[in-house]
Parts: sequence; structure tokens; C-alpha cells
Amino acid sequence: MLRILGTQSGDRMKEERIKQITNQVVEQFRRSGYDVDAKEISKRLMLLIYEFKVPESEAIRTVKNWLIKELEIPKEKLVAEAPLVKIADITKPGQWVSLKAKVVQLWDSSSPSVSQVGLIGDETGMIKFVIWAKSGKGEVEEGKSYLFRNIVTDSFQGRMQVYITRTSDIVEIEEDIQIPPREIEVVGALVAIQQNSGLIQRCKLCRRVMTKGICPIHGKVEGYDDLRIKGVLDDGENFYEIILNEENIKALTGIDLEKAKQIAAERLDRNAVLSELKSQLLGRYLKVRGTRGGRYLIVNEVEFLKGIDKAEIEKLIEEVAA
Amino acid sequence: MNGVRRREIAKRIFAYEFNRSTHRIKPEEDKAPVYVLTPLGMRCNRVFVVGALLDKDEIKPDSGIWRIRVADPTGAFFGYVGRFQPDALESLMEIEPPELVAIVAKIGVFERDGRLFVSLRPESISVVDSETRDYWIYETALKTLERIKRMELKKDEDCKLAWQIYNPNLNEFRQMVKQALASLKEEFELIEEIEEEELKERKEIEEVEFEKLKEKDELEEFEEEFEFEEEEWDLSDILGE
Repeated sequence: MLRILGTQSGDRMKEERIKQITNQVVEQFRRSGYDVDAKEISKRLMLLIYEFKVPESEAIRTVKNWLIKELEIPKEKLVAEAPLVKIADITKPGQWVSLKAKVVQLWDSSSPSVSQVGLIGDETGMIKFVIWAKSGKGEVEEGKSYLFRNIVTDSFQGRMQVYITRTSDIVEIEEDIQIPPREIEVVGALVAIQQNSGLIQRCKLCRRVMTKGICPIHGKVEGYDDLRIKGVLDDGENFYEIILNEENIKALTGIDLEKAKQIAAERLDRNAVLSELKSQLLGRYLKVRGTRGGRYLIVNEVEFLKGIDKAEIEKLIEEVAA
Repeated sequence: MNGVRRREIAKRIFAYEFNRSTHRIKPEEDKAPVYVLTPLGMRCNRVFVVGALLDKDEIKPDSGIWRIRVADPTGAFFGYVGRFQPDALESLMEIEPPELVAIVAKIGVFERDGRLFVSLRPESISVVDSETRDYWIYETALKTLERIKRMELKKDEDCKLAWQIYNPNLNEFRQMVKQALASLKEEFELIEEIEEEELKERKEIEEVEFEKLKEKDELEEFEEEFEFEEEEWDLSDILGE
């Protein structure tokens, strides 16, 4: 009945693919308690995909719809397992999908109807997620990877996001989803500088920061001077822990390691460097470009925020007036 | 998310909205942070403020507690700095008002005659330039407008609560934002002609300032109680040493 074209190896590949899809469909119906005829499904898929050149997803949908009609399955009974996709594939709202992703960051939820909100990421990108309180799903942790099953996509202010609802599942997985470092730009106020910043000493063996001449790993060893700042950038919505190295600090304040040592020598106090940096940087708006590495945003470029666009202010004033 | 509590975000808020915040959200569990609900339905525990430090006065000689007043275009924040804010105290000692400052602060709350008063408990104070101040005004205006929009929608639980408690006149807050933005325009020397309407607004803001002075009287009372608390601490300090 089927007119199969192509070489023998091509045919084998096609058969393989059809078998694969057929198994998916059969498995899905079996989970809902229905036994379906694999042979018939394969036949229909073959016809649709290779004869009529219908896209796979459309062919699968057609076959499923046919099965639902044929077996008179009530729609709600068929808990369709949403296809596993990558974040970059999510482009349309209202799609049911599954994702394997790592929780990159949790944000503060301002609404009691939201249990958790934040960012999840996979190899292809990052997306905002919302776990509704009503979903009754467990909480996720930053840095852990999960399989998010049957979640629904949505578009909000021009960006895609996903919701975890009552019909979704969150399963922690062993696999550590790798997220490619992605440069982000943040504008925020530097609201805190941690105590172990300024002119510090690092262990000669492992580069770790030493406290009072003691390395946490190697004990009392020789150290070398370095200049760095561990601080918190806050944009009023989120906070970012940032690390500024000597180069970044020099770009902002003109103080490099030599100058820092000089300040410490003049005032007979290494902490004088920290005080100086605090007075020049705390409470200032910084524009930071960096890559997220675990807890910290590793700064590639940093500068003081330059003024505001007059047009932006005009726009806001008009908005208030309207 | 048990274990380490996430750092509180420093919210951007004008003095006008801040000083009208009289509702505290009781923590659901022990040790959970206390939040103040503002008239525009924002929960906050920490704020970031940029304005002109106008006064710093030691509330009583040798008390080690300083009261500060910091003004933005919409009003003035009050704050208290003592030995429990060592970083802020250290920098405050070196600043002579008037000066533009940026302050990161926790919100202090105090109840008197059934009304809640809010003040700043600075964690850090630093001298900044006018560019920082301008950006703060812009950013705070933007975020305040977002809050006004959310209040209009009446969807979010905190907004519903704010309507219930404050029943705010949103136009009043829009006017406040407009006034703040107008101050930026002046900064850019873009004053075309001050229209009559704007003059009227300015008068309204002056009235608000007056109200603020009245509130100051109430705050004097607040201080007495506050001092008392600190005196208790003094004692334990001496015993400890």
C-alpha cells in the first residue's frame, strides 16, 4: 500500500524513526490505561511523514487525535506527557512541555499565590519559571537540576516563561545540567562591600584568601598581596553578589595594587584601603557586565552609570500625566 | 528554602510613600524578618535612599545615638544611627550636612498610640554625587509608577491589603512622582515655562512638608522611648565588659 522510495539504508533509518515515535505514542496511551495497535500507528505515521511529508509533530498529533476518537477516550483522562524540549525551543505561549534544567536563581516572590519564582537554564538558554502556590509542588533549590514535567509556556512582557501547575511534576535528577556561561548586564547600586575586601593576602600555594596570615587549607604560609572587592549589587528587584578584581577596581577608582599598598603604608593600616574603597564606591550605581559562576557574578567589565536619558524622563512625565 | 535566609532587596521608595507606611506585616514564623507594607502595596524590610542629609543631631549629649534627616524631592526621611550600626556611624561622623548621601537601611518601626512610625536604621551611609541622586530619583519614580499600576489592577494580595488598609488616592501619588521627575527636568535646565498647574503642585508639596514638621513633633516623643531602649542596652554593655 505504501510506496516507499529511497535507498535501502534510507528506508531502514525511516523505519527506525517510525518505530521510535510509535513506541512513544504506545507508551503514552499505556500509561493512561489503553492498549493501542502499534502496527496501525506505524502505518499511519509512515504515510503522513514520508508519503505526505507532514512534519513529525503534526503527524503525531493527528495519530493521537485519531486514537482518542477511535477509543472514545475522554480528553481529561489522557494525561499527555508533554514532549521534552530545550529552553531555546520555547517560542510560543500556551504549549505544554517538559524540561530538564538547572535552577540558576531564585527571586523574591512578592505574591502569596506564587510559591517560587526565578530562572532555570539548560545548554540552550535560560527562562523564567513560576511555581504556583496552588500547584502544591515541592520547592526547588538553587544549583540543583530537575526534570520539570508537563509545564506550560506563557509570554509575559514580550518574554517567554514557564508555569509549574497542579498537573506538572518536578523530579530532582542526578544529571548536572551544564549551563554555558552567559554574559549578563546589570545596573544596580552597590549596597554592600564585604569585610574581606580591599587589600588582601592570598596563599602562595592555592591563591585562597588568607585571614591574619593563615590559609584555610595550608595554614601559616607565605602570602602575596592582592586587591579585590566582594560586594552586593542591588537593582531594587534582585541582588547580585559580585567580585571585582584589581583591574575592575582600578577602572573605577584609579587605585591599583601599588597605590593600595601605598595607602596602607601611609596610614599604617591595611584596612584604610577598604575604607577608601567604601567611600568611593558604596551607594554608587554601577553598570556591570559579567558571567554568572555559581553564587557570584564574575565581572568582566564595570563602570559608573552615566547620567540618564532626558527623553526617558520626558516619557515618564508624559506617562504620569496620561 | 529553609536554612540561610535570602538577602533582603533594598527597595526604592520616596519619602512621601515611606512616611505614610503605617502597617507592619507580622512574621509567620519566629525570626522571620518584619516587613512594612507601604500605601502602594509594597512589602519592604530594607531600602536604598539617596537624598540630601540636612541634619545630624546627637539626640542627647554623649548618647552616641544620632538622628538624621534626609530629604528627597517629596519629603524627608528620619533615621537613627547608633553603635549598632558601626559602619554607618563611622561614616556619619565624617560627614558635615548638608551633603548628598546614599543610605542603605533597614526599616525601624515604632508604635505610639496605636500608630506605627517608620524610620531608617542605616547600615551604610556614603557621600555621593548629583548624578547618583538623579538616577535614584529616576529609578524610584519608575518603580513607584509600576506600583501604582499594580494597585490599579488590584490583583496581587499585597495590593488588596493596601487598598483595605490605606485606601490610597493614587492621583496623589502620581502627583508626587511628577513632582520628583520635574526636579530632574530642572536639573537639566529644561525649564521652559513653569505652568500654573505646576505652581499649584509645588504648593501642595509644601503643605506636605508642613505636615512632615507636625510629624516631627510626634517623632520627638518617639525618641524618648527609643532612648530608653538604648539605655537598657548600655547597661548590658557595661556589664559585659
